[in-house]
Amino acid sequence: MSQYKIIFTGPVGAGKTTAINAISDVPPIKTDAAASDMTKNRKASTTVAMDYGVMNLAGGEKIHLYGTPGQERFDFMWDILTNGGIGLILLLDNTRADPFQDMRFFLDAFGKFIDDTSVAIGVTQMDLSSTPSIEDYHAQLQGFGLKPPVFSVDAREKNDVSLLVQALLYSLDPGLAG
Amino acid sequence: MSKSNKTPFRIALHGMDSRTYKTMEMYLKGPCRGAAVVVEDAEASIDMIDADHPKARDILDARKAAAPGRPIILLSLQNLQLDNTYFIKKPVNVQQIMAVLDKIKAVAEARKAAAERTKIAQAPAKIPDEPKPPMDDKPKKMAMDVYVNKAKAPKTGDAAEHHKASKHHSAMQLNEGGFTAFLGTLSDIDFDDEVQLLTACYDPRQYFLGYVMSAYKTANLQSRVLQLCSIWKPLTIFPESQEVWIDADDKQTRAFAGMPLGKGSVGKMILTAVDSTTAIQRAEDKFQDMGAFVWKLAIWTSKGRFPIGLDIQGPVYLERWPNFTRLVITPDALRIAALLVQAPRTPLEVAGLLHVKPQYVFVFISACQTIGILKQSERQADAVIAVEPTKKPKNEGLLSKILNKLRGA
Repeated sequence: MSQYKIIFTGPVGAGKTTAINAISDVPPIKTDAAASDMTKNRKASTTVAMDYGVMNLAGGEKIHLYGTPGQERFDFMWDILTNGGIGLILLLDNTRADPFQDMRFFLDAFGKFIDDTSVAIGVTQMDLSSTPSIEDYHAQLQGFGLKPPVFSVDAREKNDVSLLVQALLYSLDPGLAG
Repeated sequence: MSKSNKTPFRIALHGMDSRTYKTMEMYLKGPCRGAAVVVEDAEASIDMIDADHPKARDILDARKAAAPGRPIILLSLQNLQLDNTYFIKKPVNVQQIMAVLDKIKAVAEARKAAAERTKIAQAPAKIPDEPKPPMDDKPKKMAMDVYVNKAKAPKTGDAAEHHKASKHHSAMQLNEGGFTAFLGTLSDIDFDDEVQLLTACYDPRQYFLGYVMSAYKTANLQSRVLQLCSIWKPLTIFPESQEVWIDADDKQTRAFAGMPLGKGSVGKMILTAVDSTTAIQRAEDKFQDMGAFVWKLAIWTSKGRFPIGLDIQGPVYLERWPNFTRLVITPDALRIAALLVQAPRTPLEVAGLLHVKPQYVFVFISACQTIGILKQSERQADAVIAVEPTKKPKNEGLLSKILNKLRGA
């Protein structure tokens, strides 16, 4: 049986682990460790390998949900992770110093994968920092020639994460019948 | 700004030649009594741009990208209204500069207080020092016939509104399953028949929606808190935080939104400036995001009809996706959005391609038009050249299964 994946990526603390947890049918396997580098300024522990969750579908098929480690020093894993991926969920933390720079970095890093599939962007922590706005993100994305879904997301809310993934799927094919 | 303020603002100047640069530097130091100092870009907390510079737009975009969230002051001979900027009309005078600096200070304090309050999730935040009202707040020409009661001009600025955290609760009260009951009014219409077609459209100006949109524009133009009074419940608009306050639940709002307003009702529409200090002292759970509110209002006004003025025989497209996690979602909205983001299509074409009811398309485009993201294609080619059908992914069946899973089917 084929291995289908949805990849969750984004900077440290953007909510990748939490988002996978929100829609996974099994408790996600976490590979967190105590943060020991710059990451510790933002959170006590961080994902050092990857997060993994599963959605069980009708007919016995499974969708694997992979969260990339946030630190750039693990970017060698990203190519391996995206192999066979259906699409990319990019989560961005709006309280970081320059979320646009984060967005540019990840869109560049996953550029080929996005070209082959699609991307949906979730902006987290907007309750703590309302700027940049969702409109600002869309304006930035014009430079990439992309018009992806960009939603404000609370990664703890299943509905928010679910809508983001649904938008990713409809970006691939608006004609999909649910 | 208070003269006792000991810490001057640090301003970086952009789009100015060396002479203007020096003049502004001395102006801030002298006539403005050191309220601000000119510094290098990296040290600045505010950007000031000469908007009449030939490359002002590029400079503005570059500054927004380089320092998101940093306040930007635009100087121009023309009246400018650009999102997330402060405007000073040339010739610049001390009062204008001080008024804008006051506003920036009040906003910064309010944001800081709101962030702290959110973090500790405790008692209501302290109201910040009342900023002075902006000096240049002459009422602008209104888009529609809504009366502004100047006699009740605010005694203070409206910066206190920034204290509130955005409320998005109401956007999530309904889902698409709840719409079928009132979106089914257009069945069996022949859309090729112009007479029948008229029954499928509505004029927003004849409903509460039209007056709310007009009041919203006026509040934004004047940068002040306004209250729209009607035969129903008063609606207060907070332009700085892009929020509204109304003491009504969704069911009540939906009922009123769908009622055409007669001449008697229109005469009772009054737009009044409100003292922001008293305006803020309201039940917090009744604040709503402005965009989410007008989106809902458009849905409940449309009831599956399309807004008059929109050519439903012409292609339309979406400039961007709506922020669906904070909006009421109408039937098949995500699919329609995905299609209209890709390329311009006529509303009836969308209905045909996705095999959905036309009223689902109409209600969606009504809401999108209200928040300004739907455009009618003006290129003749869009109407003449057939859009390529979307490519079917290889794993279509699998994607449908994922959708069913996510939607709890």
